[in-house]
Amino acid sequence: MTDTSRAAVRTDDVWKIFEHDGMAVEAVRGVTVRIDPGEFVVLAGPSGSGKTTLLNLFGGLHRPSRGRVWVDEQDISSLSEHDLSRLRLERIGFVFQAYNLLPILTALENAEFTLLLRGVPPEERERKVRALFEKIGIDGLEDRRPSKLSGGQQQRVAVARAVVGEPALVLADEPTANLDSVASGALLDVMTQLNRELGATFVFATHDPELIARARRTIRLVDGRIASDTRQ
Amino acid sequence: MMARLVVLARLALRNLRRQARRSILTAMAMVLGLALLVFTRSLGDGAHETWIKAGVRLASGHVAVMQTDYLPRRAIEDRLPAAAARAALDALARPDLAPLVEAAAPRLELHGLASSSRGAVPVVVYGVDPTVEPTFSQLDARLAEGRPLAPDDRLQAYIGVGLAKRLKLQVGDRLVLTTQGVDSTIADQLVRVVGTFRSGLPEVDDGIVHIPLRTAQDWVGVGGDVSSVAILLHNSRETERVVRTLTAALGAVGNAAAIPWQTTTPELDSAVKLDDYGNYVFHFVLLLIVALAIVNTILMAVLARTRELGILRALGLQRRDTATLVLLEGTLLTTVAGLVGAVLGLAVTFGIFRHGLDFSKFYSGEMTAAGAIIDPVMIPLFRLDHMLQNLAWIVIIGIVASLYPAWRATRIEIAEAMKFEG
Repeated sequence: MTDTSRAAVRTDDVWKIFEHDGMAVEAVRGVTVRIDPGEFVVLAGPSGSGKTTLLNLFGGLHRPSRGRVWVDEQDISSLSEHDLSRLRLERIGFVFQAYNLLPILTALENAEFTLLLRGVPPEERERKVRALFEKIGIDGLEDRRPSKLSGGQQQRVAVARAVVGEPALVLADEPTANLDSVASGALLDVMTQLNRELGATFVFATHDPELIARARRTIRLVDGRIASDTRQ
Repeated sequence: MMARLVVLARLALRNLRRQARRSILTAMAMVLGLALLVFTRSLGDGAHETWIKAGVRLASGHVAVMQTDYLPRRAIEDRLPAAAARAALDALARPDLAPLVEAAAPRLELHGLASSSRGAVPVVVYGVDPTVEPTFSQLDARLAEGRPLAPDDRLQAYIGVGLAKRLKLQVGDRLVLTTQGVDSTIADQLVRVVGTFRSGLPEVDDGIVHIPLRTAQDWVGVGGDVSSVAILLHNSRETERVVRTLTAALGAVGNAAAIPWQTTTPELDSAVKLDDYGNYVFHFVLLLIVALAIVNTILMAVLARTRELGILRALGLQRRDTATLVLLEGTLLTTVAGLVGAVLGLAVTFGIFRHGLDFSKFYSGEMTAAGAIIDPVMIPLFRLDHMLQNLAWIVIIGIVASLYPAWRATRIEIAEAMKFEG
């Protein structure tokens, strides 16, 4: 089902240094890691440990100060802005902490947005999204605007948007942080299911103990370095 | 590419609808701006047409057929041969020109003296065709006493009230006109005053004499020659076309040329241009205010949607796509507002003010412009080219005013935008 010779994402001695008030802040320091297709990985660690920055490096939202990052074996460190945008569109799905759905679009339109940008025909888009909505338990909400959805429902739409294009990698930054425990548990069920059934590779940055407990691999970061990398 | 543009246009439209109140307020500024532009421009165009028509009626028409050398000196030696005048009148009767022409008046212009028993004053004597002149000149309509020239008149004169006063002449009195004939001899002509006119312009009322064309031609011995054929058009914008067609039709007959009013009446052309420049400044300020309103709205919309634009970029939208999105929002807003503004402007201009704006209460005497008496009622004029220009301007301004916000949108860093709480 998954090609284990190709990493979903891997890095080689990657660094990210920010300039802040004239001071160099090393957010990620020499991280070398490999995440294979189909993995369900958590980046854990205290605030300021570099979880989100590493996730952003995986997603091409930050460029590494040093070192290299490959997504689906494509070196993204030196990609042009244009190619990086294309890579994000075609190979990476994002789930953000604050749902970040587009308020002007319905749930269905939000979920199909990346397919729309990729030029997928309308019937195929709708078929895929409706099937996915049914799978993750939000069918019937297709025509609602985000403002008419609960936090949990919004986050499921965001997950649908992230996976509908069958990306090589789904990156989720604190996806359960704004949800209550019931909604959070339900969302994790959905993502576990999608990981299992679709073989989607999930990488989370989180503090959430429940999410950490469900992960099959936990990479713990401290001060921008990998402190531990454990598999269950 | 096209599919993505459609997606972006849909997003732009929905963004504008989402911020409906802000969009409507900005659109209102543009609607009122364009409506005001349409109104002032139509009124200006109407005023200019009035000025031009009034000016050319007192001068050489919209187009004058004359010898190429006539203008600088206006000397009898540089007159237009009868054959050339006839060729011009024949050309004007052709089906391609006839509908454009309101009147064509052959005239002989002579400079000399008018004398009575009470003195002598310098005058310009126009030999005119009494059958054509009432259509052409405003002077027949400004009769003060007596009557204008009639077709059967021979030794009659129609003079200004100022001249009559200076020479102490009444209707029925005689005066002597003196000028230089073609053989350089001094020639006199005795005529009788049949009427006086009051134009309101001292230089006209004090120094113009109309006599029948045939009398003038016989007096100076020029046969059927004239100084010029003055042509009045229904619409001044046809001037260039008539000049072009007449020039082709005349060929090299008698060294004749068709001269536009801008050349024969340069002071009128300058007055129109000067007024145009004033209007341009007003329109520039107006459009600048509209542009600032657009910049403000679109920029605020971009700043308020920093996180959203960041999401779009994270999802795979290119930098140029975000710029296109913002430009589309600005252009859509201005285009819709422009169209509504144009309709409103036209409705107000040609609905409420179609009979014109009366400025007579601001003037105690005659209202003049560039040496011509003009009607104090300014009637707006619809010009399709100006309407299209207005719309083009508003769309261009929409695009230009959206450029900076669009550039700002491309500068958004995705990871930073995600932290934005807007």
